[in-house]
Amino acid sequence: MSDRLAARSALHGFAVPGRHGRMDGAAGVTVGERVDLGLASVMARKGQGTALREIARAAYGADLPDTPRHVAGPEVGFIGTGPGQWLAVSERLANGDLSTDLSTKLKGLASISDQSDGRAVVRFAGGRAREVLAKGLPIDLHPSLFAPGGAATSIIALMGVTLWQVDAVPTYDIAVFRSLAGSFWKWLTDSAAEFGYDVAPTR
Amino acid sequence: MSAATDFARRDAQPFRLAAGGLIDRSRTLRFGFDDLELTGFPGDTLASALIANGVRLVGRSFKYHRPRGIFCAGSEEPNALVELRTGARREPNTKATTVELYDGLVADSQNRWPTLRHDLLAVNQLAAPFLGAGFYYKTFMWPASFWEKLYEPAIRRAAGLGRAAGMPDPDHYEKSHAFCDVLVIGGGPAGLSAALAAARAGARVILADEDARPGGRLLADRRLVGGRPGPEWVTAAEAELATMPEVRIMRRTTVFGVYDGGVHGALERVNDHVPAPPEHEPRQRYWKIVAKRAVLAAGSIERPIIFGGNDRPGVMLAGAVRAYVNRFAAVPGRRAVVCSNNDEGAATVADLAAAGIDVVAVVDTRHEVPAATRDAATKAGAILVPGGRIIEAKGGRSVRSALIRSGEGRDIHVGCDLIAVSGGWTPSIHLTTHLGGRPTWNEGMASLLPGTLPPGMSVAGAAAGHFGLASCLAEGARAGVEAAASLGFPRVTAETYRADEESVAFAPFWYVKDSIGKAFVDLQNDVTVSDVKLAAREGFRIAEHLKRYTTLGMATDQGKTGNAAGMAVLAEATERSIAEVGQTTFRPPFTPVAIGAFAGHHRGKDFRPTRLAPSHRWADERGAVFVETGNWLRAQWYPEPGETDWLQSVTREVQATRERVGVCDVSTLGKIDVQGPDAGLFLDRVYANTFSTLPVGKARYGLMLREDGFVLDDGTTARLAEDHYFMTTTTANAVKVMQHLEFCHQCIWPELDVQMVSVTEQWAQFAIAGPRARDVVTALLDPGQDVSNEAFPYLAAGPVSVCGGVGGRLYRLSFSGELAYELGVPARFGDALIRAIMEKGAPFGIVPYGTEALGVMRIEKGHPAGNEINGQTTAHDLGFGKLLSTKKDFIGRFMAGRAALTDASRPRLVGIRPVDRSVRIRAGAHLVPRDAPADAAHDEGYVTSVAFSPSLGHWIGLGLLSRGPERHGEVVRAADPVRGGDTPVEVCPPCFIDPEGERLRV
Repeated sequence: MSDRLAARSALHGFAVPGRHGRMDGAAGVTVGERVDLGLASVMARKGQGTALREIARAAYGADLPDTPRHVAGPEVGFIGTGPGQWLAVSERLANGDLSTDLSTKLKGLASISDQSDGRAVVRFAGGRAREVLAKGLPIDLHPSLFAPGGAATSIIALMGVTLWQVDAVPTYDIAVFRSLAGSFWKWLTDSAAEFGYDVAPTR
Repeated sequence: MSAATDFARRDAQPFRLAAGGLIDRSRTLRFGFDDLELTGFPGDTLASALIANGVRLVGRSFKYHRPRGIFCAGSEEPNALVELRTGARREPNTKATTVELYDGLVADSQNRWPTLRHDLLAVNQLAAPFLGAGFYYKTFMWPASFWEKLYEPAIRRAAGLGRAAGMPDPDHYEKSHAFCDVLVIGGGPAGLSAALAAARAGARVILADEDARPGGRLLADRRLVGGRPGPEWVTAAEAELATMPEVRIMRRTTVFGVYDGGVHGALERVNDHVPAPPEHEPRQRYWKIVAKRAVLAAGSIERPIIFGGNDRPGVMLAGAVRAYVNRFAAVPGRRAVVCSNNDEGAATVADLAAAGIDVVAVVDTRHEVPAATRDAATKAGAILVPGGRIIEAKGGRSVRSALIRSGEGRDIHVGCDLIAVSGGWTPSIHLTTHLGGRPTWNEGMASLLPGTLPPGMSVAGAAAGHFGLASCLAEGARAGVEAAASLGFPRVTAETYRADEESVAFAPFWYVKDSIGKAFVDLQNDVTVSDVKLAAREGFRIAEHLKRYTTLGMATDQGKTGNAAGMAVLAEATERSIAEVGQTTFRPPFTPVAIGAFAGHHRGKDFRPTRLAPSHRWADERGAVFVETGNWLRAQWYPEPGETDWLQSVTREVQATRERVGVCDVSTLGKIDVQGPDAGLFLDRVYANTFSTLPVGKARYGLMLREDGFVLDDGTTARLAEDHYFMTTTTANAVKVMQHLEFCHQCIWPELDVQMVSVTEQWAQFAIAGPRARDVVTALLDPGQDVSNEAFPYLAAGPVSVCGGVGGRLYRLSFSGELAYELGVPARFGDALIRAIMEKGAPFGIVPYGTEALGVMRIEKGHPAGNEINGQTTAHDLGFGKLLSTKKDFIGRFMAGRAALTDASRPRLVGIRPVDRSVRIRAGAHLVPRDAPADAAHDEGYVTSVAFSPSLGHWIGLGLLSRGPERHGEVVRAADPVRGGDTPVEVCPPCFIDPEGERLRV
């Protein structure tokens, strides 16, 4: 039998590591792809909301948020994407391992679908990050309104995104449909170019 | 004056004052205007630099090609339009008054031939009697056919503005969003004090000003605030705002429109003031500013007094004259006449005199002239003409004299090269009307004042009709305090400002009735007082009618200076008040906005995002030809070396697939996980056929109807577990179907325990089709998995382990009619899987095939697709009547049963083939009876899809034909009057290949 199929990240071939855009001064933002992240949609079964919350708290140490927020447990974080709907994110439970784990632990309480390959997740950080995002994102990221843990499902340059803030640098993670990774990357880098940006290596 | 002496000392900037002005004299900027090489200073506009150089003639007028000069000092300029820059960056109709001077600037005058000074088209003036109001409508009425070919091109050549670059714009534009508590529109005294007040209360403030530096009239007039010169106060205010982290000053930014929800459109000219944008920076940025409150402090625009020859270069608004003298230290003339209807005349006279300009006459239209004006005139040594008016400005390329008529009717003829004219000020209320607010006419102020305001907006300063500097500062501060306080910020005490004394008294005076010569109301569109009067006589008595008939206010300046006077002339001509005449409507944008700014990055291939299939990179490497299907880019065919024609490649791909094996990326199909205990019940209700009975490990073709009974979409759905179905949709309808399902669940059957989510992007899925498909699949699967016909029959579905332990899913589905599988793996393995399929398939002669071959094979099989499932066809039409379950209810069931939808004479799906097999048939051809004329009365349907069938060796088609299924074997005609075809075709069953479906099941 042949060798195992090689995985390729969504931004393979698009993200070129190194400094780009305006070259003088420190880079305004850094940008990189989060690869092998476990992603899964979690949808509560009818009437199971309370049980689901309890089990999820016990299993993952996280309170499922009722609002568009990112609540991080030790291994798995949950982003509210709609009533009774979450996007689960995990670095430790890579790729499909997350949905397998969720399906087991939340059996009968939620419908789980693996989305690890369905999204490219871009980590975007730096002093000019808000200015870059403002060029596409029609929501207010002012620190008084959108802080670490803040999350939004919105649109950037005609592309649907789920975005959550990681820290106060600010650092953001932005999930975009995999097939749009190239177009999104083009928008992001065009928009960041005037500030200069560093690209972290990807796979 | 000859041309030689006119510009003899141009290098010395002969009209530049020795000192003063907000310009940086330490650096000299070179620039070109037509064939002149000139100099200016940082801080200049193109207009101020031209004035400093003594250039008075800057353009020719739209209709009559009359010489025109600079009239204003701001964005309301009607005359001084130039072509800025050259080559691909050439930008026509650019206002010289708003262009910041930079080193190397090149501008050309426009609408003249061959040169500005000797414009041969000025003969248009001789035709003036024919070019009056409504001349388009009157002159070129007959014959109508001459309009497009003769009249319009001739008019466009003779009467026009600048030339577009005609090349792709080399610069890029950008869009951005901003949010604030208080948006202050305009950075003059009212705007600055409003911004300071709101910011001191702690509000997030954006101050937008169209100028390169805020200050407004404080930069143009010699005024004191708190005992300090205006510009000093402005600098201090700017400095304070700069220390506040929640304040953003947006310079060179015009707020051009107000929209719902506190959204304001604004254009920032990021790099218009440099020769070319620095690398990575946009030229302009289009902002959507979302503000909870807005303070409109847009100021006001000075009105002219209209008199004969008021368009001659050298006739200039008095406020603009003061701006050039005070801000730019550039004097627009040597001998001036000042004409006004208000108390500001004194300031104009004093500023001119202080600049060393000889003021020869001061004309005040009022009989009672205030002492300040008298004193200023006396000091300047000018004759004072109370109750006077200018009858005519005489001259050619520049004013040479003014004919003044005194209050007593005595004519005075004075030599002059500058006439500074002021008819008072018009509040800039444009933005208050963008959401439908109607301004109100204030008779006392002879002005339109803001009426109903957009939600959250207040108006301060001159825009609200408060003209004095002290009241601008006070009202601005009050508006800033109120805006912030209304949002819950502390109510700070409004700062009280002390300004030097002034009087803003005026008496309306619109135009000089006993003018000699043409008196222009709209300088840019060449509309005269007599045009307005003529229109009134011809029955155009309403402001909106007058505008369209005469083109008054329809030029790029939108009549900012002349409209008010136009309404006054119309009112008088129709013996009504100005309030009765009505008003035209201000719509966005306030000033022109380049389309490029609205587009931003969405240009060329970035017009919309592109979705790339998992095999894209591999297909691209292989030289595939791609086609856009929605946002997706899909491989259309894969040319081989030596193939010169798409049909050649497609035919080869079909033959290879039918004879051996082919592979196609079908990842673009919509994929939806439908889960939950009620998933089967839910699917039974949204599909016309039944899914609750589908065993786990099986897939089924499904047909979905709209509520109105027509077909919505089709696809296959597999059952992966008791409570887990995996639905596929067509590529085109993926989003629509997802929305439909969400709607059905949330609004119709919220009681069902079912969850659904799109997993389209999660899976890379490839169709492997052809007699050798099983061989290829077997080679790809890890050992020990049986895909024999017995173990994995037609329509089987289930998990598999692929190429070294990758978890995938295999479905035995076929769109091509061949033995076929669809193999799915998580998308990150998609690229590797297509390469593995090609490698493992090589011994079996595998070929990749694109969407064309896919289409050919589905037409050969008679499968309806987008051309047939077009929103107008029912299940019966498409031959799917048997799928409509009679054992359950489903969406569309009842409406599909309506008489008209089950009428046997409806066009229904058939196959067609040309009687003469060598003939090509075309999609879109209409089907008519063999011996009937090809007209609408005999139309019985049309050809929906055609393909050259490699299997049959001739063209075949699918069509919708009235009573089609009953007419197999009949010969009709495919008539194509548009493209000229008319050929007999035989009606046949839609499936051309393997009608029994034996190949599927081997």
